[in-house]
Amino acid sequence: MTSINGSDVTKVVIACDAGMGSSVMVASTMKKKLKKYDVDVVHTPVNEIPADAQVVLCHAGLADRARRVNPDAVVVPFQIFMGDPAFAKVENAIKDGGTLES
Amino acid sequence: MALPDALSTTTEGSGARARIQRFGGYLSGMVMPNIGAFIAFGFITALFIPDGWTPNADLAEMVGPMIIVLIPTLVAYSGGRMVHGQRGAVIGAVATFGAIVAGADPVRLNDGTTALPFGGQVMILGAFVLGPLAAYLLKLFDNLVAGRVKAGFEMLIDNFSIGILGGVMAIFGYTVIEPIVGWITDRLGDGVETLVNHSLLPLSSVIIEPAKVLFLNNAINHGVLTPLGAAEVTTQGKSILFMLEANPGPGAGLLLAYMFFGPRSLRPTVPAALIIQFFGGIHEIYFPYVLMRPKTILATIAGGASGIAVFQAFDVGLTGPAAPGSFIAFMGVTARGDYFGVTLGILVSAVVSFMVTGALFRFGHGVDDAEGMTDIDLTKAEESVAATKAQGKVG
Repeated sequence: MTSINGSDVTKVVIACDAGMGSSVMVASTMKKKLKKYDVDVVHTPVNEIPADAQVVLCHAGLADRARRVNPDAVVVPFQIFMGDPAFAKVENAIKDGGTLES
Repeated sequence: MALPDALSTTTEGSGARARIQRFGGYLSGMVMPNIGAFIAFGFITALFIPDGWTPNADLAEMVGPMIIVLIPTLVAYSGGRMVHGQRGAVIGAVATFGAIVAGADPVRLNDGTTALPFGGQVMILGAFVLGPLAAYLLKLFDNLVAGRVKAGFEMLIDNFSIGILGGVMAIFGYTVIEPIVGWITDRLGDGVETLVNHSLLPLSSVIIEPAKVLFLNNAINHGVLTPLGAAEVTTQGKSILFMLEANPGPGAGLLLAYMFFGPRSLRPTVPAALIIQFFGGIHEIYFPYVLMRPKTILATIAGGASGIAVFQAFDVGLTGPAAPGSFIAFMGVTARGDYFGVTLGILVSAVVSFMVTGALFRFGHGVDDAEGMTDIDLTKAEESVAATKAQGKVG
């Protein structure tokens, strides 16, 4: 089980199947939320999650693939693309220095 | 059915699903970066072919070479790049050229009045094979010689390895791959034709709609339907295949029904999702709504099938893939004179999907009692995912 302290997070990766559609949408909302904490938000196809990714947000249906691509990253799955508790969980962990677990 | 159940059914056998997703992801990953080129091709086709808005025989000369040569080359380039970066991209494109030329026997476009410098088969399937394969072989070679090349000879080795291996692979593509892939493409084309001739195409929704919500949407649309549709465009000037998966109607109808009759806690989230789905074309946003009530898949299947039936009845098509699957994208690539049939098909599929979803929710009576889902359930569902994973069942 991988875990990371929210205060150590400098980069959040949003992954979707193609890296062109839903991940871009989620990334643009997360970017706004995480800007004030100096956290970088990028979007990629789930097959190309970078090796240095610390935290990966992706839909639960793709989480399995995300973990296989990068077993070291903390993968946080979400269910719905807007207002999912997972987004708040990541934001709060970064804000308060809580622990994120995969 | 509550969300955790829905989740367990979708994560069970996730190994197989993840493998199919990953394979499909590679295919769509080769096509999707190049959708812009398809759209440019679609515009030029719609404008300049004899049936187009402003027929122009000179400019129409671009149509054949773009779809026959440019697009498979781009696909192969992207496929090679995924495997071995820039060098893989170059050799992938070179390797595919043999198959492209072998498949391009002269034919006439559309109504037969425009003779093409190239015609025949669209070698996108060949590009799927040759692009990554050539890049992989080059990668093996590069790993083999890594660190053994004398200083100052790196560029020589780098360039000639692509040149020689690429040339050999192009010949291999011309002589071996093209006959095989050409045969497969013909059979697939025959299969589609049979479905069309027997009015069975609406049945494809039975496979497409469930696969979509399991995040196989891109794999199906851009891995399978876009290449087949591109081949149809060369002979008919348009294709119905671009609309099978990308139709925003079924998802929109489902979301509308959630807005009026769905669980009350979910209703406020729907309007924004609806706009993003129907106009933004991000279909992924409605998948969770199906997954949390799996029986609603019946609604999108019914919606998808009835939409296709309308498309077929009006004999309408698109000149290129509508990607993302937005209503606006549809209008951008609809073939001339097909606007009514295309719009009606989208509308009908939305209405059917809306009615079926509504019926499944008993039009708002009693959904919230037994089946109501709140944010707390959602959090619980996530915890159950975490628990499953902790037990090593997932990943």
